[in-house]
Amino acid sequence: MGTVIRIPVYLFAAQWAMLAALAMFVVIMYRQLGRLLTRSDKAPELGPAVGGQAAALSYISTADRQERQLIPREDGPALVAFADPTCPSCEQLVGVLGELASAGQLDGIRTLILISDPPSYLRISDVFSGSELEIGRPARSDGLDAYQVSATPLLVAIDASGVVRAAGSAVKTAEVRAFAEACWPAAPEAAGLSAGGRQLLRVEGNVT
Amino acid sequence: MTGVALACKVVIAVLFVAAGGAKLADLAGFTATVRLFVPAWTASWAPRAIAAMIAGLEVLVGAASLSSPLAGWLNPAVLVVCCGFVAVSVIGHRRYPGRACRCFGALSGRSFNRAGVARAALLAAGAVLAVWPVSPSMLQLGTLGRLGMVAGAAVITWCAYTAAVAIGAGRAVSSAPEAQQGWVP
Repeated sequence: MGTVIRIPVYLFAAQWAMLAALAMFVVIMYRQLGRLLTRSDKAPELGPAVGGQAAALSYISTADRQERQLIPREDGPALVAFADPTCPSCEQLVGVLGELASAGQLDGIRTLILISDPPSYLRISDVFSGSELEIGRPARSDGLDAYQVSATPLLVAIDASGVVRAAGSAVKTAEVRAFAEACWPAAPEAAGLSAGGRQLLRVEGNVT
Repeated sequence: MTGVALACKVVIAVLFVAAGGAKLADLAGFTATVRLFVPAWTASWAPRAIAAMIAGLEVLVGAASLSSPLAGWLNPAVLVVCCGFVAVSVIGHRRYPGRACRCFGALSGRSFNRAGVARAALLAAGAVLAVWPVSPSMLQLGTLGRLGMVAGAAVITWCAYTAAVAIGAGRAVSSAPEAQQGWVP
């Protein structure tokens, strides 16, 4: 005569549900491990090719809903931040850009924040809604492929001649400052210019 | 019908625990979703606090539902939470279509759309079925059994948290730290 073990119905059902959930997590982790192991060493492209001419880019300003052209441009360098109010890192970037602009470190550089969210989303972020920087939304998506915005935030430094000097992710002050520096490609050091000369170059950049 | 009600009850409870654990792993991302629904005048810390509260509430309700099957008030409470999810899905679909809902944190890339509303409605329908009266004899659970359920809920929360962190880390490797995917104007 064997002993009959009676498992309560509820316990039985709950155990199977939990086992199913755990099995699902094993599958998820296994798939993720597979992705990580088969990932190419080459990092995915983020941002336009550095050294190339920036693609044409027009946007609709969220302030007055007017369409404006950013690229091609001839009135100095530009710093373009692809960011969204719903992205926490983007808020950090916009905050840093605002601080640098207030400190005068972006003088002479046209700084533009491009969002993909509808303009009404700006209200959900104090950083975006309170920013004094120019914010716009791309007027059309066809020219955006060249910018390869595979993730946000993406910062692109474009010099006065429309050449992309730097592109990538940046959220820390030092990183953003480096992008701002990259907007001035004339390399004052290489040209033998002093800090004063560099400042002069910035002024020239504004008028060329 | 009793079997269906029992199945709905345990499946929803496990889903709650898993979803709560995954949300806790990506609290910053879930906070961004919460911010879509919070009035602009609220304090800056409020969305994060609400996000943490929702994730914690899901884990607690799920664990309580699993470990205390005889507590009759829990089934209507789960139904109320599920109805809340339906409301959020509908509002999200109407006001923010295409935005990530982060219902399962980084585990899922689903967004506010019709399918999301249908999933939330299905969950609510399951919660309605779970309210169906079940003979207490089928819900008997000893102290050891209850402790086992709590431990099981904790393990699922931890697994969901770990899986969500792993997937979030994988995304970060492929792009930027804490970056948001899919910039499509």
